[in-house]
Amino acid sequence: MSEILIQFKKLNWLLVFLISFLSFVGLVMIYSATYGDDDRVFISHFSKICLGLLIMIAVSLTDLNFIKKHAYLFYLIGIILLILATFYGIVGKGSRRWLNLGGFVFQPSELIKILVIITLAKFFDEKKLQSAGDYIFLILPIFLILSPFFLILVQPDLGTAMVVLLLGLIIFFISGISWKFFGVLSLFFIFSAPYIWGSLKEYQQKRILTLFDPESDPLGSGYHIIQSQIAVGSGGIFGKGWTKGSQSHLDFLPEKHTDFIFSMLGEEFGFLGTISVIGLICLITYLTYSIASKSFSDNFNKMVGYGIISNYFFVSMINMSMVIGILPVVGLPLPLVSYGGSSMISYFIGFGIILSIDRSMRN
Amino acid sequence: MNKAVKKSKTLRRRAFILGMSKSLITGIVISKLYYLQILQKSKYGKLSESNKTKIKILYPERGTILDLYDKPIASNQIDYQLNILKEKKKFIGQTIQKLESIIKFSKFDLDQVKLNLRDENLSDFITIKKNLTMDELELFELMSNQFPYLLITKEKVRHYNHDENFSHVLGYVGYKKINKNKKLANLKIGISGVEKNLDDQLVGTDGWVKLEANSRGIIKKEIVRKNPIPGKNIKTNLILDIQSKAMEELKKVNGAAVILDCQTGGVNCLASSPSFNNNEFSNGVSNQKWNQLLNHEFNPLLNRSIAGLYSPGSTYKLITALFAIEKMKLNIHKEINCTGSLQFGNRRFHCWKKEGHGKVNLLGAIQKSCDCYFYNLAKSIDIDDLSLFSKQFSYGIKSNIDIPNELGGIMPNRSWKKLNRKERWHRGETLNTVIGQGYVLSTPLQITLMTARIATGRKIFPSILKVKNKEFQRMNLSDKALNYIRKSMYSVVNDFDGTAFKSRLSSNYKMAGKTGTSQVRKISMEERESGVLKNDEIDYKLRDHSVFTAYAPYNNPKFAVTIIAEHMGSGSKVAAPIAKRILEFSLKNYLNYV
Repeated sequence: MSEILIQFKKLNWLLVFLISFLSFVGLVMIYSATYGDDDRVFISHFSKICLGLLIMIAVSLTDLNFIKKHAYLFYLIGIILLILATFYGIVGKGSRRWLNLGGFVFQPSELIKILVIITLAKFFDEKKLQSAGDYIFLILPIFLILSPFFLILVQPDLGTAMVVLLLGLIIFFISGISWKFFGVLSLFFIFSAPYIWGSLKEYQQKRILTLFDPESDPLGSGYHIIQSQIAVGSGGIFGKGWTKGSQSHLDFLPEKHTDFIFSMLGEEFGFLGTISVIGLICLITYLTYSIASKSFSDNFNKMVGYGIISNYFFVSMINMSMVIGILPVVGLPLPLVSYGGSSMISYFIGFGIILSIDRSMRN
Repeated sequence: MNKAVKKSKTLRRRAFILGMSKSLITGIVISKLYYLQILQKSKYGKLSESNKTKIKILYPERGTILDLYDKPIASNQIDYQLNILKEKKKFIGQTIQKLESIIKFSKFDLDQVKLNLRDENLSDFITIKKNLTMDELELFELMSNQFPYLLITKEKVRHYNHDENFSHVLGYVGYKKINKNKKLANLKIGISGVEKNLDDQLVGTDGWVKLEANSRGIIKKEIVRKNPIPGKNIKTNLILDIQSKAMEELKKVNGAAVILDCQTGGVNCLASSPSFNNNEFSNGVSNQKWNQLLNHEFNPLLNRSIAGLYSPGSTYKLITALFAIEKMKLNIHKEINCTGSLQFGNRRFHCWKKEGHGKVNLLGAIQKSCDCYFYNLAKSIDIDDLSLFSKQFSYGIKSNIDIPNELGGIMPNRSWKKLNRKERWHRGETLNTVIGQGYVLSTPLQITLMTARIATGRKIFPSILKVKNKEFQRMNLSDKALNYIRKSMYSVVNDFDGTAFKSRLSSNYKMAGKTGTSQVRKISMEERESGVLKNDEIDYKLRDHSVFTAYAPYNNPKFAVTIIAEHMGSGSKVAAPIAKRILEFSLKNYLNYV
């Protein structure tokens, strides 16, 4: 018991504080988003943050070697859950991605992102790739990436599927696979692009086209992105004030407590608000980055660290980019800020792993 | 070990590249935020503002028009109107279709919607239905949650309390045809009558309200409001009951009734028949209705009391008589033998009484309306002098009454004839003129002004708007002459052989008046010469008009009245009895000296 207490004291409390603070920002925004409505969303979010923080601490106290050892098993469980969710799950927002496990509804695709990172890290840590002939081994990790990718794609959840693909590529990249591989991959992608485009659903194509010219259909596919940009832009430097955002509160802004929460932040807290949140995200990213890179002894830890922080950072940036009109609207939440349990808890698990890496270095 | 170190180095290098790309992405996001929130702040600020705020123009309530005793004769009534948010206008067709089960849209309503759609004004609402009935309103309230972008408003619209009675004098309101003030496209302005002349005061000042609406168009709250300022209430000299009485009397005839207050010049009654219902104009009149009125046989849109031109007939003899006394120093006792006709040049001029009046002096000539007496006078009258003299009784001159579209009539003289008929004046025409026939044309208002001026000796001017009492200038006429004329008018009504004896007042008050017969056609002159046709023997439209003008009480004039009954023959038959009834009513109820 005292051992756990000692380990508990060794935790990186600065990081814990920053993560909690960002969750608090999310809570503040969700309070505003549901202001005047019923407060169940706010209470539910608050309890999920508490739960998430507890899970994060719990994960941070577990031994990473245990996770590494059973990585493939975890991955298998994750894939089974994903299959169940994809084919037998609960339908919501036009896609089948939730699973009800004894009253607890969660989204296996959020968890699988971390499992993909861990499994790939384990693979590349054990298999050393030197010569061209070794590329035959890449079949397994590619399979590890593509199976969840396709499972998520058919839900359909293009955003999360792309993130899985992106994370796989990042692990490939930092594991030292030669530039030639990425060159070939790029060529492949360029040539297959027309086919990929053709396989996209019409509304997905529209969303991408809308990005280049939102005014072409201001009341249709362009509506959300125009209203979101108006919300952010009208916030100016200081914003309209907490709970005072007219775009948000008069329902011009869609999904204001989930995917578009950053727009509401921009409207109510202005440029100072958005820049502060970006600063916080960058600070968290930088801190975890330095933790991962300091862990020189263990490539597995490093790869897991970079992978997890990439997951967090890129999803954050994709979310912000889509609400301000840099990327198409793909339906990704802002990590730790948006309302949505599974996503938030999976990020807490991720940060738990980072904290565990940090703790293991101090031992 | 070497390999491990190498791998670790690779890993660190790749991680550095990864970190750099992350910084780049962060930079892009921040730049876009900087662009949106700082560089384009005003653009997006405006967009956000126009997203949420909806402007509704608040139209001012039009001022009430009151009669002399503060009874409203034009007021406003509540009108519930259905409006749609302009940004949802593409749903109008579909909305109307859905509403048709509970609200009746006439073709006229639909045409109005089309017009309103074309209007460009600041308002974010378009009216799609006016005059909602209580039933429609209730049914709509039940369904209103299906139409969050529709708004019911309570407007005040013009209502004329007494149907057709005041339509000509008050006029009506409507939309401006060419609207310079686009903001107020829906504002009704006065189109004719008092409504037009006093529009500046009646119209009021518009206001607006800024509303906050959400994305579905549901109004959340009112942000700021500038209340409209209602128009001023206007008090007129009209007397509701007298006007109504006059309209009642004119129900069966086409014609006009004018009553002036001899003390103030106030117009107590300005009636014209047939009339129209100006309430129908208040809500916008349909083309069909409009054409029906325009093409009506008897032209109900014409305000006969100020724009109907009639020969004054024998009522004009009062002016000739005054002229003869004042300007020709006529011996009033001199008698002339009327034989029923008079030869002048190569033409024979007939008296209305075939067998003649025998010996008559001036008073008798007026009392019995003897034409021959005046023909005789005319022989030594210069038309230019008479014309000039007549003008001080408003003949040929607009009275400048305070409503639009008044006509001035014609008081002929030599230069008038040269200009308009390209001919020189024939002396025979003077004979026609002195008995109020021929070229001379006047409005009922002008004849009333003549009577009022004779009755008071003052240059009275008419006004519909109640203004401070003003002293009217004395006319340059001797009391002797005026009294003589008044006395002869008295005998017209109160002496046994006066032409209007049958219409004498049955009350204690006495009236003084003059009958007249206004000839409709030129040829009736020749017919008169060749032996007269009886009025009932000719076509209605060619029959003479019945004219009567009078004032009362005789010794202290209050009311001056003129009645014209079109195509009803001599003045004594129809016009005088109507005047008697209206005057009796007025004297009984409204004889209040200032």
